[in-house]
Amino acid sequence: MEANISTAEQILTTDGIPLKDSLRKTERRNKIKAFLLVFPLLLFILITFVVPIIDMLTRSVDDKQINTVFPITFEEYKKWDRQGLPPEEVYKSIYLELQNGEPIKIGRALTRMNYSKSGWRSLIKKTGRSIKKDKGIIHESYKDRLIEINEKWADPTFWHALAQMVEPYTFVYYWNAVDRTYDSDLNVVRQSEERRIYIRTWIKTFKVSVYVTLFCLILGFPVAHLLANLPLRFSNLLMIFVLLPFWTSLLVRTTAWIVMLQQNGVINGVLVWLGVLSDEGRIQMVYNETGTLIAMTQILLPFMILPLYSVMRVIPPSHMRAALNLGAKPFTAFTRVYLPQTIPGMSAGGLLVFVLAIGYFITPELVGGKDGQLIGHWIAYHLKTSMNWGLCASLGAILLGIMLILYWLYNKIVGIDNIKLG
Amino acid sequence: MSKFLKTIVSVSFFMLLPLSAFAVTFVSWGGAYTESQIKAYGDTYSDPDSIKFENYNGGLGEIRAQVESGNVAWDIVDVLPSEAIIGCDEGLFEDLSDVAWTDAPDGTSMADDLAASGVTIMPPCCAPQIFWTYVAFYDPDNFPGNWNGAQPTGIADFFDVGKFPGKRGVHTWANAIVEMALVADGVAVGDVYNVLETAEGIDRAFAKLDTIKDHIVHWSAGSKPLELVKSGEVVMSLAYNGRVGAANMSEGENFEYIWEGQVIEQEYICLMNGAPNRDAAIDFMIHASSSESQAEQAKYITYGPMRASGIDIIQAGEPWFHTGVDIMSQMPNTPDKIAISVIGDPTWWADNGSEISERYGAWMGS
Repeated sequence: MEANISTAEQILTTDGIPLKDSLRKTERRNKIKAFLLVFPLLLFILITFVVPIIDMLTRSVDDKQINTVFPITFEEYKKWDRQGLPPEEVYKSIYLELQNGEPIKIGRALTRMNYSKSGWRSLIKKTGRSIKKDKGIIHESYKDRLIEINEKWADPTFWHALAQMVEPYTFVYYWNAVDRTYDSDLNVVRQSEERRIYIRTWIKTFKVSVYVTLFCLILGFPVAHLLANLPLRFSNLLMIFVLLPFWTSLLVRTTAWIVMLQQNGVINGVLVWLGVLSDEGRIQMVYNETGTLIAMTQILLPFMILPLYSVMRVIPPSHMRAALNLGAKPFTAFTRVYLPQTIPGMSAGGLLVFVLAIGYFITPELVGGKDGQLIGHWIAYHLKTSMNWGLCASLGAILLGIMLILYWLYNKIVGIDNIKLG
Repeated sequence: MSKFLKTIVSVSFFMLLPLSAFAVTFVSWGGAYTESQIKAYGDTYSDPDSIKFENYNGGLGEIRAQVESGNVAWDIVDVLPSEAIIGCDEGLFEDLSDVAWTDAPDGTSMADDLAASGVTIMPPCCAPQIFWTYVAFYDPDNFPGNWNGAQPTGIADFFDVGKFPGKRGVHTWANAIVEMALVADGVAVGDVYNVLETAEGIDRAFAKLDTIKDHIVHWSAGSKPLELVKSGEVVMSLAYNGRVGAANMSEGENFEYIWEGQVIEQEYICLMNGAPNRDAAIDFMIHASSSESQAEQAKYITYGPMRASGIDIIQAGEPWFHTGVDIMSQMPNTPDKIAISVIGDPTWWADNGSEISERYGAWMGS
């Protein structure tokens, strides 16, 4: 074939088509074949990856679940100057929309309303029951009637909390995710003090991820170096030591760390027995950040060692020997000849560990005690318990955004082509 | 080739059929709890093979996803009370107001039976299951020397690190601990939610929590408090009462409960909206919520029947536990214990859950 191409300029194929065209045709057919081969995979990625991400991004700004339920109320609400209590028209429209609305849609809206102001859920439900009984009665003042049913209707804070839901699309969830919210005039204000939890959690999540990545690098580098340079029979044994915990269940390893680290655990016990610590002076090493860092580092270590190892294995030992031979001191030879060649491995390992750490959930939850709630905890909480999927989606989108920025930075500084998994 | 494909399609179709068409899928929390449901409800049902038990991790997330996508695979789900309320509001569960639940053996209706246990509002989409509680406990065999022989008797002692020095085990979420703080601060058990209705009441609870903040070890898995107390890591802990009961009844432990100030939580089984086997599922729910079934469950796990008549059956049938020992001392909702307990109010939690959870998270991490 190759021989043919090199002498193909004027040659025609048997059916008289220039060989060039014929080749192009074959190539195109091959391309289509290749595409058809990967098409199922493409479809799979599209359905399981791209579509959910788009769905998530939509949910993080979508506020229609409430807007379509109370359209007239929100129209009237927009006309109100947000001073004191709203006018009669607002009361009347919410009254009628509650009376005639679809219960399930109202129920869905309640979850949304209740997040902006606790208490909306039971206020609407209690009111709803009375209103249903009122069916057919025309009131002179719906405002008075609602306040008569429940005095909370005269509480302006409930009404002010509705302001953030007026528009069908909103950024309020993103503001919520950084401890901000909208006031009644849609200015961004800080969340009430005791609810400020997210910025703190973001910082904590980052801190833990950075530390875990650093520790993994510091601990993983020498191990990978040993693995790559020891004679095969030793390095195989060592490899088993790396892989065995890697194959062990996450929960087992986490629990094992608790047994080791707790105040009446193995490490404290040995230290007390040796007389290093007094019985009262036992160190608190678990159910706090220390425990989280130790357990996560150990669990994520293989993700650093394996890429490092595969890179180090192919660095010829002759490079170091040559450097030494040419007069470099061992330290210089290491930093200027060996280390630069391991950067692809370090990058791959570092990125892997960091990405895994930032979304970590179970281990910190179990060994972290009061410090164990990283951002993954709150994403799960809003997904499963509070049902505030808007906030859940915005937290997820921010996490995704951060990852993309890191990836971009990384590409700028190190170059993504330099990443190497083996 | 096409014949081969046809065979594959039809075979896989028939393999899928029994999964979706012939079995009611009952989804619950797994472990010893689901075991007790299989034995008490499944095995006693007229057609035990028609019920398939599955596990999930709680929460309404999966449930909403199934209903929203119109691809409902489950029939009955075992949920927490505030989730029963929210799920019912959102139309994730089907309204069962018209279902004729079975009366107690003496003819008491389901509603009256529940009212006798202190539950006045039942979510309309669900049938009652069990009472489970957040209760404080300690290990008398591992008695700290510096307690000077005193024994904790109420939740106030749990909050009293002066009289009872040592660490406390507390869960990492806000439920129950807020109520307990108020009871420890002198609020009557029946008054807790009135106090919590005001912002000052919530501040008061957190102020009380502050007094033990530095003495708390936080746990997040239900098995943890037993290990914490057994290993001496903490001197007292809050736990699910059924976990403590299982250790006492089946593992030879001798843990002591502090019933006064415990928080009684409800548990419901609800019908998925669009359940594939709706009618069969309702029939099974009627069976599972009968007084007899609820009492039967206590043979295998120390959670209490929500129906008061269930407790009567157990009382009359002692020794009730399947190993042949008495169980009333481990039951969290005997009338004398209900009188000194907070009955958890799911309506308050459905209203305030998010705000309190965020605040508790902030408090815990500060």
